[in-house]
Amino acid sequence: MIVVRDLHKSFGDHEVLKGVNERIEKGEKVVIIGPSGSGKSTFLRCLNLLEEPTGGSIIFEGQNITSKETDINIVRRKMGMVFQQFNLFPHLTVKENIKLAPVKLKIMTDAEADKRAMELLSRVGLPDKADRYPIQLSGGQQQRIAIARALAMNPDVMLFDEPTSALDPEMVGEVLEIMKELADDGMTMVVVTHEMGFAREVATRVLFMDGGNVVEQNEPQAFFANPQHPRLKDFLGKVL
Amino acid sequence: MIGIKFADWILAAPGWIQGLPKGLQNFFFQLYQTFIYQDRWKWLLSGLKITFIVTIGALLLGVVIGLVIAIIRSAHDSRRIGKPNPLLSILNAVCKVYLTVIRGTPMMVQLLIMCYVVMQPKDEMGSILCGIVALGINSGAYVAEIARSGLMSISGGQMEAGRSLGLSYGQTMWYIIIPQAFKNILPALGNEMITLLKDTSLVSVVMLRDVTKQAQNIVANTYSAYVPYISLAVIYLVIVLILTRLLGMLERRLRESDRR
Repeated sequence: MIVVRDLHKSFGDHEVLKGVNERIEKGEKVVIIGPSGSGKSTFLRCLNLLEEPTGGSIIFEGQNITSKETDINIVRRKMGMVFQQFNLFPHLTVKENIKLAPVKLKIMTDAEADKRAMELLSRVGLPDKADRYPIQLSGGQQQRIAIARALAMNPDVMLFDEPTSALDPEMVGEVLEIMKELADDGMTMVVVTHEMGFAREVATRVLFMDGGNVVEQNEPQAFFANPQHPRLKDFLGKVL
Repeated sequence: MIGIKFADWILAAPGWIQGLPKGLQNFFFQLYQTFIYQDRWKWLLSGLKITFIVTIGALLLGVVIGLVIAIIRSAHDSRRIGKPNPLLSILNAVCKVYLTVIRGTPMMVQLLIMCYVVMQPKDEMGSILCGIVALGINSGAYVAEIARSGLMSISGGQMEAGRSLGLSYGQTMWYIIIPQAFKNILPALGNEMITLLKDTSLVSVVMLRDVTKQAQNIVANTYSAYVPYISLAVIYLVIVLILTRLLGMLERRLRESDRR
């Protein structure tokens, strides 16, 4: 579904990604872990071109999205993204947050989007918050709404950029629960996180990034039980 | 002398005025001369019409110019390092020159240049247009900096969230960034609106018969500045008070989403 070839990204003189090659199949739940500064967030943000790669290519559903001819706005409709800071639109109600993109992009009528929004709100367990404003909700609730908002576009893949890192500890569980349900429904997911429990339980594959490259990857059982690379051993020794 | 003499007026005045002390009699005479005699209130009313037309026209023009410049300037300021964009750099330079020139020269001088050098209008419609253009271009420079501060007050995450949903840059700006920025800059924008309204009094120097010019006309007829000019000040003050009130109401409505 997503093929990444020799992906490079530099900020000025600072090279963050040093030729990443990766292949993500439909239905996979890929969890990316690594120390801060390893390039994992940048890698994820390159997948929907929120960061423009400085080299290499990304093929999504057979289309080279790094090419100049590609309309990235069309591609992004199929790639949902959830941010660390939620980034809900504070001037809109919860329901309006979810409806905005499908309606303005003329993918759904207002009535259809309304129905879809309520379905999604039920799915994330917050149907009674439809007419509230984001600021009136807890962090965990906001992040669940953000997931619903991304799902409203019926994406083929969901990208999660440290979705629980800005949450109070007691709210992490509710967000991970929604993500787990999403995984069980067969959604293709790429998740950057520090939640090792989630990686172990939900991932079909875990990637370890360090110094701008994927250093080691494996299915979760072997990944955590039998790490090979000394950097990964060191990292897991610190976080587990 | 054009007009009416006090001695004639007092004879025809109602009895209760004739019973007043001399000073008050004179005050009422001036009020009469300013507003009632020859239906002069209609002069002021027609002047107000011009004032409003010029204010609203310049306001719209100023907001459009200001918004465009603010978007160019903030897009330029937030561009990524190592990714030069020559078109944006040129536009940004043009905007900076515009801001420097407009903010560095007096409103009055700009108005004179616009009307006597650039446009040289032949009729009243032309003069009105010229006033709108000169004031709008001036106001745009101030609105631009206000709007830029508003755009920059919105976190980058909002743009990313909009774009990640497949909205274009323009759509994200229009539906997500600008509504939030507008709310943040409303007090400053209101200030600019009030300044603009009062600045329209300058158009009297380019042959426009706005409310200030009409008050001057009345003074020219009565040879007495006191009542016409004080009245003029009161007229502006009342309009500003109404405007302030309306802005306050709008601000409260927009703050709805901030209530916890």
